[in-house]
Amino acid sequence: MARFRLLPDEQQARSPLLLLWREFARQHSAMSGLVLFILFFLLALLSPLLTPHDPYLQNDALLLIAPSWSEQGLVQYPFGTDDLGRDMFSRMLVGARYTFGIALITVVGALLIGLLLGVLAGMSKGVKSSALNHVLDLALTIPSLLLAIIIVAILGPGLINTLWAIMLALLPQFVHSIRNAIAEQLNQDYVTAYRLDGASNWQVLTRLILPNIWERLTVTATMALSTAILDIAALGFLGLGAQAPTAEWGAIIADSLDLIYVAPAGVALPGLLIFTAVLSVNLVGDGLRNAMKKRREN
Amino acid sequence: MILYLLRRLFLLVFVFIALSILAFSLGYLFPGNTLQNFTGMTDISAELATQLTAEYRLDSGYIQQYIAYLQRIFSGDWGLSFASKQPLLQEIKILLPATLELAAYALLVSFFVGIPLGIIAAIKPEGIVSRIISALAIAGYSIPIFWWALLLIMLFSIGLGWLPTAGRIGVLYEIPHVTGFMLADILLANSQHQAEALLNALRHTLLPTLVLATFPTTVMVRFTRDSMLDVWEQSYIKTARAKGLNRAQVLYRHALRNALLPVIRQIGLQFSTLITLAMITEVIFSWPGIGRWLIDSIYQRNYPAIQAGLLVISTLVISVNMLTEILHTLFNPLARKR
Repeated sequence: MARFRLLPDEQQARSPLLLLWREFARQHSAMSGLVLFILFFLLALLSPLLTPHDPYLQNDALLLIAPSWSEQGLVQYPFGTDDLGRDMFSRMLVGARYTFGIALITVVGALLIGLLLGVLAGMSKGVKSSALNHVLDLALTIPSLLLAIIIVAILGPGLINTLWAIMLALLPQFVHSIRNAIAEQLNQDYVTAYRLDGASNWQVLTRLILPNIWERLTVTATMALSTAILDIAALGFLGLGAQAPTAEWGAIIADSLDLIYVAPAGVALPGLLIFTAVLSVNLVGDGLRNAMKKRREN
Repeated sequence: MILYLLRRLFLLVFVFIALSILAFSLGYLFPGNTLQNFTGMTDISAELATQLTAEYRLDSGYIQQYIAYLQRIFSGDWGLSFASKQPLLQEIKILLPATLELAAYALLVSFFVGIPLGIIAAIKPEGIVSRIISALAIAGYSIPIFWWALLLIMLFSIGLGWLPTAGRIGVLYEIPHVTGFMLADILLANSQHQAEALLNALRHTLLPTLVLATFPTTVMVRFTRDSMLDVWEQSYIKTARAKGLNRAQVLYRHALRNALLPVIRQIGLQFSTLITLAMITEVIFSWPGIGRWLIDSIYQRNYPAIQAGLLVISTLVISVNMLTEILHTLFNPLARKR
């Protein structure tokens, strides 16, 4: 005889967020990605307090010191110094601020603007919605580097100017995914039921739609973050983004490129850091996606 | 279907109009003299300036100027390059095929490597092979392309000395420009050193293609894998299995065809990223394509070139986008209803 149960199983009675976390924590790769991500985040926040030397101080007594794991290295300079005698280790730490931190700010900015436009496109119907979509389709087709080139041509090179370019390049995917998510939500029965109860558009949006789509938004944001880091580094490398003395990782690679035979660490280390940062973001994003899928299956 | 095509066509026209307005407004937005930005001539004498102003309708309203701009674009007068003083359209005609060649090879590699790997990874999602493929895919997805290119150059060109680092072909070979695609041009040119030239060009192409193909291949692997896993859960697969088809038959007749549909769409969506990456690859390998030319243009403040580059590259990306979307709809009747 089927027993009447007022409350579902203990497993299902937990909050969705907790279920998500349990599925997430079960994946080793995702957890290691999360640890790395938190490390980079803390580094971006605290790096000025952690640097052993001034990253911009040029010391002509200590030019091109090898990293400390080689015979000629000094223990005070773990990654050696560059051709102007600046401590590479401090520069790497501060670089997290520029490459990782600015990318994070860019993504948050794009997310907020995307949320606004996506909600407008998703909640409105007819001409307004389709016009917005078509303008976005246009923006989607301009490659991000080309957009950056145009903005740099208008405003001049610099980290902040490329930030706008990357934000603009990221925006369409946010708006598209938010609009699609909202359209999907609006078809749900509980939205109709809530509307029959007399809920206004604003109430439907804030009480039903946003709580239901924010997880998907997080996944989109992690994907955007990995693109943003790669773009900032690439623009720094090409000399369009962060300018010469700034310790942005891509710019450091471009700086060290002519000394690649003498000091290969100057190219290898910042590249490895960019790679690790992007990898950590991607691992977290993939882990979240998998966890959401598994939770739905259970 | 015809209604769908008409709607797409309408959208295409709309997007191109918006694009041309953007390109036109750049003539005003860029620093410097508007007349110089439009013509590409740097020192214009006073009487030439009045003549050009009349010709470009810079004395009348923006609408007339825009119409004059459109007329110039369609008649092939795109202005001159600040740097070389050559007509821009001529330069682009020589440069664009090089970029297309590189991007086409990278896309081909991503098909023939990425899709099979994705299918293999989907067969046993928890197996060791699948895990290795997924790990490689996420690593390839995360690597900064310029650093990856430098690593490969260090290893294969400088360390081992196997492959050249720059250019499309050795300077000893002179290949007449016919199609712009180096390999096709070599085959068309009837020289006695054809085989050597072909080998040389292939050696030059190998490393840039490998670098550029990394990202699309990993995207293909991830996407094919996800799409396969998704399709494998569908009820028609269960039906086919229940009817007694074996794994290979189900895979080929039902799963693969449905799983590869969204992959077609993905090509269009990833194409703009591919072009961005191609531009960076061209800079590193001194590949004489439109990307390197554009990045040189920004160093030289060559505004007319950037304006023309925007038009050409965006047109290319929009066309590819539209084409893949139409193909997707053609193959997938379900998508037509929306």
